[in-house]
Amino acid sequence: MKSKKVESKPNIILNFFSSVKLAITLFILLAITSIIGTVLPQGESLQFYLENFGPTSFKIIKGLELYDTYHSWWYLSLLGLFSVNLVVCTIRRLPYTLRLYRKDALNLSLDELARRPFKKIWNLPKAAPDENLVSRIKSVFEGIGGKVRNRKDVQGGNLYLIEKGKWNYWGVYFIHVSILVIFAGAVFGSFAGFKGRIMLLEGETTDHAFKRDEAGNISKIPLNFSVKCNKFKVEFYPNGAPKLFQSDLSIIKGGKEVRKKSILVNDPLSYEGVTFYQSSYESLPEIEIKIISPDGKERRLSLSAFEKAMWPETGMVIGLIKYLPNVHGSPAARIYIGDPSGNGDALWLLKGHDKDYKIGDSVFRISLVRGGEKYMTGLQVKKDPGVWIVWLGCIMLVLGFGVVFWVPHERYWLWIGRDGQGAKVILAGQTTKNKVAFEKRFNKIGKEMEKITGEI
Amino acid sequence: MQINSSYLLSLTTFFYLGAAAVYLLYWIFRLHKIGILATIITVSGFLLETAGIALRWKESYALGYGHAPLSNLYESLIFFSWVTILVYLFVEYKTRNRVIGAFATPFACLAMAYASFSPNVQDTIQPLIPALQSNWLIAHVITCFLGYASFAVACGFGIMYLIKGDSKGGGLLGSLPSKKVLDELMHQTIIFGFLWLTVGIITGAVWANQAWGTYWSWDPKETWSLITWFVYATALHARFVRGWAGKKIAYLSIIGFISVIFTYFGVNFLLSGLHSYGSS
Repeated sequence: MKSKKVESKPNIILNFFSSVKLAITLFILLAITSIIGTVLPQGESLQFYLENFGPTSFKIIKGLELYDTYHSWWYLSLLGLFSVNLVVCTIRRLPYTLRLYRKDALNLSLDELARRPFKKIWNLPKAAPDENLVSRIKSVFEGIGGKVRNRKDVQGGNLYLIEKGKWNYWGVYFIHVSILVIFAGAVFGSFAGFKGRIMLLEGETTDHAFKRDEAGNISKIPLNFSVKCNKFKVEFYPNGAPKLFQSDLSIIKGGKEVRKKSILVNDPLSYEGVTFYQSSYESLPEIEIKIISPDGKERRLSLSAFEKAMWPETGMVIGLIKYLPNVHGSPAARIYIGDPSGNGDALWLLKGHDKDYKIGDSVFRISLVRGGEKYMTGLQVKKDPGVWIVWLGCIMLVLGFGVVFWVPHERYWLWIGRDGQGAKVILAGQTTKNKVAFEKRFNKIGKEMEKITGEI
Repeated sequence: MQINSSYLLSLTTFFYLGAAAVYLLYWIFRLHKIGILATIITVSGFLLETAGIALRWKESYALGYGHAPLSNLYESLIFFSWVTILVYLFVEYKTRNRVIGAFATPFACLAMAYASFSPNVQDTIQPLIPALQSNWLIAHVITCFLGYASFAVACGFGIMYLIKGDSKGGGLLGSLPSKKVLDELMHQTIIFGFLWLTVGIITGAVWANQAWGTYWSWDPKETWSLITWFVYATALHARFVRGWAGKKIAYLSIIGFISVIFTYFGVNFLLSGLHSYGSS
């Protein structure tokens, strides 16, 4: 492939971008620089790096974007150069490979045949290349398996060829293109998709997710439908390790439930290209209190974190501040009672111990009826239309490896013809890989032919 | 003592230790009978280990957990040594060369010894946490460890290649396979390992995508597996550059295996991330 003439400038540039040396340099550079992001904490605030690493290191970290190594300008440039290397290398090798691929292995002279890496030659001065010899030798040759092609009148004889795995030439392209396909899928997915989070209380419904950008700003991602968490379940093994996280979700569109599924950590729910993954949970306290008015009327209120309850008789608002499941054997809660103007009180309730609360002259009797927990599920929400391109690339990659590494391009030639007064048989072979195994097979065929030529 | 899987597996350690010693003796004395003995010890150890793994699987059902023994550091070390012996026995069968055993069985022995006797490694059967409850666990672990084990054997070839040096003729070094054969064996095992490492990374990506919605998150384990991938990609491409064959590839196969070890242990013990089974 190397030309001896002085190379022109564009050729030098092309050679640089297509060279194996550049590929190796990039592999080594990527391997070494990738270490950075596994040692240095990633994705922290700039303040964090300044405090932990000092002003000098901070300058380097900031300038080289080492807080997000794998998305830094220089790392992405290396990956970009790697892609250019792959593309240019592929395009440059293409005509060369095409020439090799199109080259007819039958189109070669006896001299060239004698230069194959594996060969056996039998000179039979007393025999003639007659039907008997040809058919017997040929049947051994056919025993190799595969299609036999032949060309007549090659320097006074017939040339036969068995060729296998010729498409092995394309395996390397398959691998190189597959890596580009994976990159393309990743880039496409990052532009055409989104990633967000949803926190949903049991019973709650939402039609949007939240996304946090690099600067820490939170924005809404609207969904085309609503998702509802019907129930969340968590289970533990006797040793305390988590056993199950499960959210029972419903998809609601146009006021109707269109999908329902219980999702687990390894079993997400997909709807219209958006996938919901079980990612975390929080347990929130929820209590029930009983209020008895001076006139004996009874009212029950349910209070949970993040929610306020109205106390209609008085126009007051009640909220839950803190819940303790076990205080001297009973649940206890601290609640807030206030008027709309913002004035209010906080008081502790212990189950089994009623409390009197005065508003003006009226005395209300407040008691804690029940304390418990309510779950909030944390969902990872993702849309990635590029993922299928990535998988396609992965499949191509593995198939490509299979072809390149294990499908050898094998060729067996047989020439039978006249040599002076007698006959001559030439068996030749060539393979691109696993020469040891090939040689074994070749020698076996050779031995069988030897037996025939020995008899003649 | 009651026969349980941990007992069988720690017993295996001594079989592999014995095998490594006898292979070493075989290398020194070149007596066919010693070689046969080494193979017999290795195969017995392998069968014992297989029984141990099967028993452990059964025990996990008896405990009510019921999962393949591939879920924590102890089990992964056991599996690593099992696959290393499997790959080695295949190489021995194909090449009919037993000297290689002196360089391959120590890896399996070390992994077993570390699993069985290190206070850092717990041999209790633990239940699967939700993130690990997936069929991809088995596919991911088996493919990764096929890769790791092949790289261990390739590292053995690299060491053999380097200590062989430029020596010619007889003696200890002379009885090693020729450099040409070692180079070819090293290349073949790296190819085999590289394919499995690639499939291991892909199955990990598919699994991560199913569990977390991200097929690649630059978690330290993922990144280190990629670093390892780059090292072996270098070794595979180096053959196409003049002057890079042989010695440089032997060095790369050793560096590559160091990277494997770091991917496997270093990440768990020194760095934090999703694959934190080493810290427990």
